[in-house]
Amino acid sequence: MVTNNFALYSVKILAECGRDLLMFPVWWYGRGLLGLIENLIQFLKNRQKSLALIVWIKNLFRPMYGQRDWQGKLISFFMRLAQIIFRSMLMFFYLLIAILVFIFWIILPIFVIYEIIYQING
Amino acid sequence: MADEVLDNRFIVCPICQGAGKNNTGFACANCSSAGVGTFSHGRFFYWGPKLGRAMIELEHVRKKIHLIINITFFSIGLAGLLSLGLWIYLASAHSVELGMFAFWREQHILIMIFWIGIIADMFVVYRLSEEERLQHKIKSLSYDERNKKMDIPNNWTELKLSKAKFKIDVAGGYTPLAMEAVEQSYTLASRLDHEYVTTMHLFFSCLANPQVAAVFSRLNINGVKLTEKIRIQIEKIPNSGNKTKLSTELKEVLISAYLQAYNFGQKKVTAKNLIIPALEKDKILSEILYDFGVDKNKIFNVILWFIINEKQVESYRKYKKMARFKPATNMDRAYTSLATPALNQLGYDLTVAAKWGKLEFCVAREEEIKKIWQYFESGETGVILTGEPGVGKKTVIDGIAHLMVKEDVPKFFQDKRLVELDAARLVSGVDPARAEGRMMAVIDEVARAGNIVLFINNIENIIGITSGGEESLDLSEVLAGAIERKLIYCLAAAENKNYSKYIESTSLGSLMGRVEINEPAGNQAIQIVESKIGGLEGKYKIYFSYDAIESAIKLTSKYVHDKYLPQKAIQVLEMVAVNVFKKNGENSMISEDDIAHAISEMTGIPIAKLSEDESKKLLRLEEEMHKRMISQDQAVDMVAASLRRARTELREGKRPIANFLFLGPTGVGKTELAKTVAETYFGKEEYMIRLDMSEYQHPDSIKKMIGDASGAKGYLTEAVRGAPFSLVLLDEIEKAHPDIMNLFLQVMDDGRLTDGEGRTIDFTNCIIIATSNAGALFIQKQIFEGTNINAIKEVLINEHLSKVMRPELINRFDGVIVFEPLSREDVVEIAKLMLNKTRVMLKKKGMDLKAEEDGIRTLAREGFDPKFGARPLRRLLQERVDDKIATKILAGELKRRDTVIINERAEILVEKGVKL
Repeated sequence: MVTNNFALYSVKILAECGRDLLMFPVWWYGRGLLGLIENLIQFLKNRQKSLALIVWIKNLFRPMYGQRDWQGKLISFFMRLAQIIFRSMLMFFYLLIAILVFIFWIILPIFVIYEIIYQING
Repeated sequence: MADEVLDNRFIVCPICQGAGKNNTGFACANCSSAGVGTFSHGRFFYWGPKLGRAMIELEHVRKKIHLIINITFFSIGLAGLLSLGLWIYLASAHSVELGMFAFWREQHILIMIFWIGIIADMFVVYRLSEEERLQHKIKSLSYDERNKKMDIPNNWTELKLSKAKFKIDVAGGYTPLAMEAVEQSYTLASRLDHEYVTTMHLFFSCLANPQVAAVFSRLNINGVKLTEKIRIQIEKIPNSGNKTKLSTELKEVLISAYLQAYNFGQKKVTAKNLIIPALEKDKILSEILYDFGVDKNKIFNVILWFIINEKQVESYRKYKKMARFKPATNMDRAYTSLATPALNQLGYDLTVAAKWGKLEFCVAREEEIKKIWQYFESGETGVILTGEPGVGKKTVIDGIAHLMVKEDVPKFFQDKRLVELDAARLVSGVDPARAEGRMMAVIDEVARAGNIVLFINNIENIIGITSGGEESLDLSEVLAGAIERKLIYCLAAAENKNYSKYIESTSLGSLMGRVEINEPAGNQAIQIVESKIGGLEGKYKIYFSYDAIESAIKLTSKYVHDKYLPQKAIQVLEMVAVNVFKKNGENSMISEDDIAHAISEMTGIPIAKLSEDESKKLLRLEEEMHKRMISQDQAVDMVAASLRRARTELREGKRPIANFLFLGPTGVGKTELAKTVAETYFGKEEYMIRLDMSEYQHPDSIKKMIGDASGAKGYLTEAVRGAPFSLVLLDEIEKAHPDIMNLFLQVMDDGRLTDGEGRTIDFTNCIIIATSNAGALFIQKQIFEGTNINAIKEVLINEHLSKVMRPELINRFDGVIVFEPLSREDVVEIAKLMLNKTRVMLKKKGMDLKAEEDGIRTLAREGFDPKFGARPLRRLLQERVDDKIATKILAGELKRRDTVIINERAEILVEKGVKL
């Protein structure tokens, strides 16, 4: 009984290692990719939160600093517009980073394999 | 929660009897080798792993192999990076051209290694994230799941057909350390050749777990002794030749531990979760722990304490993450708010303080905060928190500030600041008109800024401040106006007393919703205090045992009446922490006794655990009392017995310690016995509140006793409030007005009395003794005729006492004790005691007193009067002894070192001492 279990278990450990190797590429473009996308989305959400971009857009027509006369409203509209443009640029920059990371992840294995082949074949 | 775990019923597979496999060693077909399991919240829980020594070892090998694989690949990755570095170094030696470094276009063995290293890195990323994903986390219960009843199959056949995701192998939820404890228990049982791994084995191996050790160290249990006791139990288990298997009970314990963690909302089952299920299953184990002074409830609270701490750390981490997004200036995120110079000067920004972690964390007040939101949601814009001082009103506000920083608040509080307006700064240094001006400015600013929630602590301070004549507005009405027009959100706090006195009847009172912050009790109080312990321990570098915390709460709520929980318990704990740190230095443990001593010192009440001396003293209480009391054996016996009951806490908690009625003629020692009780039980004769009931003959005198609403203090209520541990002596109770006697009906039954101001005065730590002369003549006559004392008592109660007292009052006494008239022999003994007192006084002056037996007898004979008891004797001794001694001292005949002699004719002589 003991030996039976022992053998079974040893095989199981070996199988585990083998499976790990086989599943690696599948994981990279499957679950791993999904996880990466989730993290990138969270990253962008946090950036958005700290830039408060949506808050600025929502309040585009609300005067800043409680200045409710027409001059105040006019100035604050343009001020907000400027802020929104500036913050959007920052946000765009973050988005770019996220997209680059994403592309990097997708390309990396192919590129590495290509490079290794290149190294071997010379 | 603990009971919830208890409620789980386990089902055992009828075919394999819970073993999980059949006689041939293959998996049982009926239960799919689950063996034992239970249903909870619509899921089926079972213990999956089949432990065996080989399996355990293989499992270890497996872990090692995996570790080696990870390290290998990680090293390859590292080597790749290093080789790239090396290549760049070599390349830079040849050329400085930037194009040279385009390594992906070069062919070199080092670059080859680098690319392989990258693959290895990717592989490590894959393995680590998969490992993390595969770690089974206990899915916490949602609000719905917790309250919903689910249909679950009740037999194995149906169960087998149900979906796999409803069947949970609890082993997956165990932390590696907890799993190790389980494996060790198996190894232990198997090495000892025991047929079953039992709860005892598991408990033994758990004791080595650091978390479990921490739990028992908090409970102040000697780990070595406990381990030894468990070892003895394990040794009693008989050997067997069979292969060791998990017992059904053990499986049940393992499943219960999972369910406990599930109910607590933990992510993983830790070894500490195993303790309570183990106790529940193994009666011997719980008896052993009981011998160490620990029961299930205590362990439960300690585990909860650990979990609170873990959760606090976790929520703090989350909080820090969220706090980054909260602006630290007085501007909201949309830049719509206004600058608030006036408010900035008078106020303190609580949200900013919370963002920088300067406020206290608020624990176990979710209900109150929910009520606050409810008021605001229903359209109110002002809420006032009321409660006794020290219950944590400000902490609730701090908690709200934290929630606002996390933005975990209803919509109307989002993106807002919580600013505390300092009422003292508002009104100080200026006349009411200027103060009103300031208030207006602040309210205007708040209203215009629109992102401020105002908090005013002790709001009663701004009430009653007016700028002039009767027509002018009160300061509070300015605020009330703003709240009524819903211009501002305002939170306020006030003490209960001040709320009813100053606020309730004003417009402010009617506009603001009231949320009462009650004094926490029981587990809520323990949880709140436990959450503060970490800070104290860090500050003073000492440790609190669980008993110390529990007793701080129990004892302060019992004996400290002018303050409130949790503050009073925290104050006591802090005081003890300082003392223990000074006395024992760093890293010492604070025990229950330290707390009891501190409270004893504070209140003068003997609450420290019974010391051996005191136990002996209690056992010979009668003897002790007879040192002061002559004769009256029955009275002394009854009183002594009731005091023993009280001190060993074998009494009902809701009545006074004892209620006695002493009956008997004057001068037989009724008051003397009361004094003796005060001295022996409370430590000093002064712990006696004496009320001459003849002073309370008029119905109006009730005010004198309990005070009235105008603030006059009652004599009795004030005295008991000040010294809750004392003896109340009601002298000559029959002389009091019947209304006043009725007061004592409640005192004797419920142990409390409401005074004129509406406060409840606690009498549960009092001894109430009433004396009466009713039927004194009857007693004398009957005793003289030689009637049995019990017969006398019966007639006395039925005929004499019932004329002056209502039967329900007589019935409330624990004992009606009839004092017998003194005999001539008793009087001699009393005379000796009295002369002894004189002797003690003379000793202080360096003189002595000796009395001949015959002399004492002579004095006793002359001083004895059957009608008046021992009182004439006192007068006689004063005249015949004390006065004479005084004259001799004044005349210079009696000096230091001289001895006063009372000769056989009771004359006073002086024996000169040695001349120096």
